[in-house]
Amino acid sequence: MHLHIPAEVLDQIHAHGVAAYPEEGAGFLLGEVSGEIRQVVSVLPLDNAREDAARHNRYLITPQDMLRGERQAAELGLDVIGVFHSHPDHPNAPSEFDREWALPWFSYLITSVQAGKAVGSRSWRLTEDRAAFVQEEIVSE
Amino acid sequence: MPTLRIPTPLRPYTEGAGEIEIQAATVGGALQELLDQYPALRLHLMDEDGQLRAFVNLFLNDEDVRHLQGQQTELKADDRLMILPSIAGGVDADTQPQGLRKVDHAALRTNQAFIIALNILAYLFDLPWLAGLVMGAMLLGTLLKAPGFGFIYKHILAPLGIMKPDVLLDNPEPHRFAQGFGGVVMLGGVVALYSGLSTLGWGLVWLVIALAALNLFGGFCVGCAVYYWLGRLHLPGFGKRPPQDTVPGMRPKMGA
Repeated sequence: MHLHIPAEVLDQIHAHGVAAYPEEGAGFLLGEVSGEIRQVVSVLPLDNAREDAARHNRYLITPQDMLRGERQAAELGLDVIGVFHSHPDHPNAPSEFDREWALPWFSYLITSVQAGKAVGSRSWRLTEDRAAFVQEEIVSE
Repeated sequence: MPTLRIPTPLRPYTEGAGEIEIQAATVGGALQELLDQYPALRLHLMDEDGQLRAFVNLFLNDEDVRHLQGQQTELKADDRLMILPSIAGGVDADTQPQGLRKVDHAALRTNQAFIIALNILAYLFDLPWLAGLVMGAMLLGTLLKAPGFGFIYKHILAPLGIMKPDVLLDNPEPHRFAQGFGGVVMLGGVVALYSGLSTLGWGLVWLVIALAALNLFGGFCVGCAVYYWLGRLHLPGFGKRPPQDTVPGMRPKMGA
């Protein structure tokens, strides 16, 4: 499993995580899937919809965001193929909470932002039985 | 016939179908029909108790069915029902105990340093207006829920790398209270200075300098301690408790 992503799009994702720090930042990955090849073409960064005190460790993408994301992707002839979000001052591994809320098939790209700097991203997919996340390799080109 | 729209991530379970036609007369019936037709969806839509998972939302013609009659909502021939996931995630809550927040103490220390330095300059050169400026920054900062001189850290010192973030798990409220308290003392001092009560005025300014210095150099925030003591008296608005194993008012040890 590979997630292909242009270097400048990955930079954009990192910049969004840094700008949101110390809160979490998130958005959609727009792209194309053919067979096992996933190609991210662009991203749609979102404002964190959490208005409460949990914004530093939670992000929420509302159903309305989801609809907007899908429509925007369709206009570009793409699909929403995943979600990116940042873990401020935490590793870029999915949390238990991430897993409970995860959708199958989506790529979950997580960026660790340490002390305001993006230190790296990893991408994950939920297993069919919802029991775990498996890592998919990010191919940045 | 009403239609039901399937979001992209669930289409692998509907043989790729993005929209299916529904026979059922209600939202709940439509959902059942979908699950009967594509049983593999059940695991992703329903939890162990047979309830819809928290992230599954059903929208009828752009309206959340929770705001209609829920699963009992009736469907008309030209209705369009959509499954729209909300997506949430993030670091596990148990790593952020007691509802503590990340507080960048580097911003707080910058604020204290500027309060001390400008107040000392105001005293040395007998500039009541400069003390007034410090008072203004502190009171305005309190209103804006930020350290009054924190913008110097955020926009100058941190981007230039002169100050590094020092993010600790802490409550921001007591620091706000402490700054507001200091601002009010400064207000008293400035009013005294402009009323010709020079000794009283500079005395109050020096009190603020001393408390800010105790915080900057000793890591003890008197205003925060007062906040926590008022909290112990169950005063409304003072609901936060000090971080675990931290003396009320002392800088917490727990990094974020």
